Amino acid sequence: MKEISFRTDVLPLKNELFRLALRITLNRADAEDVVQETMLKVWNRRQQWEQIESIEAFCITICRNLALDRMKKADNQNASLDDEGYDAPDHSYSANPEEQAMQRDKVERVRMLINQLPEKQRTCMQLRDVEGKPYKEIASFLNMTEQQVKINIFRARQTIKEEYLKQEKYGL
Amino acid sequence: MDYKYIEQLLDRYFEAETTLKEEQILTAFFEQDEEELPESLRQYRPLFAAMQQDDALGDNFDARLLQLTEEHIQVKAHTISMAERLRPLMRAAAVVAILLSLSTALNQSFKEERVWADESDYALKYESTVDEPAMAYDLLGGDTLKLDSLYKPTGYLE
Repeated sequence: MKEISFRTDVLPLKNELFRLALRITLNRADAEDVVQETMLKVWNRRQQWEQIESIEAFCITICRNLALDRMKKADNQNASLDDEGYDAPDHSYSANPEEQAMQRDKVERVRMLINQLPEKQRTCMQLRDVEGKPYKEIASFLNMTEQQVKINIFRARQTIKEEYLKQEKYGL
Repeated sequence: MDYKYIEQLLDRYFEAETTLKEEQILTAFFEQDEEELPESLRQYRPLFAAMQQDDALGDNFDARLLQLTEEHIQVKAHTISMAERLRPLMRAAAVVAILLSLSTALNQSFKEERVWADESDYALKYESTVDEPAMAYDLLGGDTLKLDSLYKPTGYLE
């Protein structure tokens, strides 16, 4: 196994970890703290790096646990849903400003729906649909079976589709 | 244009049956401008756009983390420094001890050798070459005085 370096193997995971922590804590400052804490924890366990199969899986597992701990402590699962801490994607290619605003609004609504999903579904969806990870890897990150991951993603996608289309149809 | 393939992929996507590659095709497809998408598929565009996340941490984060981890290294080095600081002294002491014991041992063996050599020289020098007193007398040419001086304490020849 190749030698692991903090600078080249651990630090570059920061944004992936940040997005995962953000999806769980729903707060940018908390998410940043979680990533920092994760990296310091990983650094303090550097004696064990040689025995770790995947440093990415190791980091993701620690990050998720720390984010869940923070959620439990702060008990802010519902309060922070209104947090406007997300950057909307760039729609500068769309010529019409009104159209841009509408698109941004729709994307924002989908993200709000994702944030309202149960944590497991949210995390599975984040790792699959945002980070593009194979089911097998997600299963190992979250200590689940591949089938459980698939079920979580299936439920998440179904809920988002139904809720979003309902909002579009009835203007809710 | 026929969008059957995309519609099929979309159905399988919602059933969680698509591969990563197929999901990439869907993402790329829905990255098109809304006007270019067929009416029936347009509504799904925000679902895929919502997955394009570019939330990131700045370079400050890297600098802070590297500083924190480097400090950890320094702290660790400091905790073992006492033992390390004493190690050269211990080594020097060990070398001195070895040299001292070696020189003592060598000195001892030289002395012993010299004592032995002296004794043997003495024995060789003073070993009598004659066994019989009569022979000795003859060798000395009947000089009793000489004999006297040699064997005076016993007075054997008188």
